[in-house]
Amino acid sequence: MRGLPTVLITVAPEESALMRPPRALWPVGFKLGSSLGGQPPLQRQVLLDSLSLFVGPPDPGKIREMRYPESGQ
Amino acid sequence: MRRNFAMGMSRRCVPFTPFDAKLSESMVALVSKAGVHLKDQELFKLDGDNTIRVLPGDVTSADLMVTDGHYDHADADRDINCIFPIDRLRELHRDGLIGGLGDKHIGLGYSLNLKETYEVTAPQVADLIERSKADLVVLTAG
Repeated sequence: MRGLPTVLITVAPEESALMRPPRALWPVGFKLGSSLGGQPPLQRQVLLDSLSLFVGPPDPGKIREMRYPESGQ
Repeated sequence: MRRNFAMGMSRRCVPFTPFDAKLSESMVALVSKAGVHLKDQELFKLDGDNTIRVLPGDVTSADLMVTDGHYDHADADRDINCIFPIDRLRELHRDGLIGGLGDKHIGLGYSLNLKETYEVTAPQVADLIERSKADLVVLTAG
């Protein structure tokens, strides 16, 4: 078993934290049912930010908060 | 083996798998718990469904739909990329930012039977992805 590097995009960080995700991104203010946002440029940015957690300093179990102007937060 | 490992894991353990390759050379798969499936696949049962829908690697947003009754998926019905960013992932490949897409992605339904999800469904998904071409997985949940 070699394991699978994963990253989670979550809008329910408290619930997700119970699962101890190895990498996770919380786009603050985004709603359930639209966790990457509604516009393609925003979706791309959220996806890129989640992928960046694979190459940055590891911080297992930490849910990274990200704020996007488009979310209104 | 995977199931035994999962069942015996400490509740404080973070199951971290290191990644030391380049994104631009890595294949990425999507796994979603948001009720995503092909339009011609069996619908998920709304009152709980831990079965798996295997989606081909070359799937596009036009091939997909959502069956889920526990969240408002009106936005996803208009553009499934807001919960399952398959077109965005393909654009990242086109732009050379990732190496490619895995040869399969996974759609999962809603279920409150977390024991079954943890002990049966998740290991099955892990085995499917491990035997695929994916190097990395992006998980979404709606």
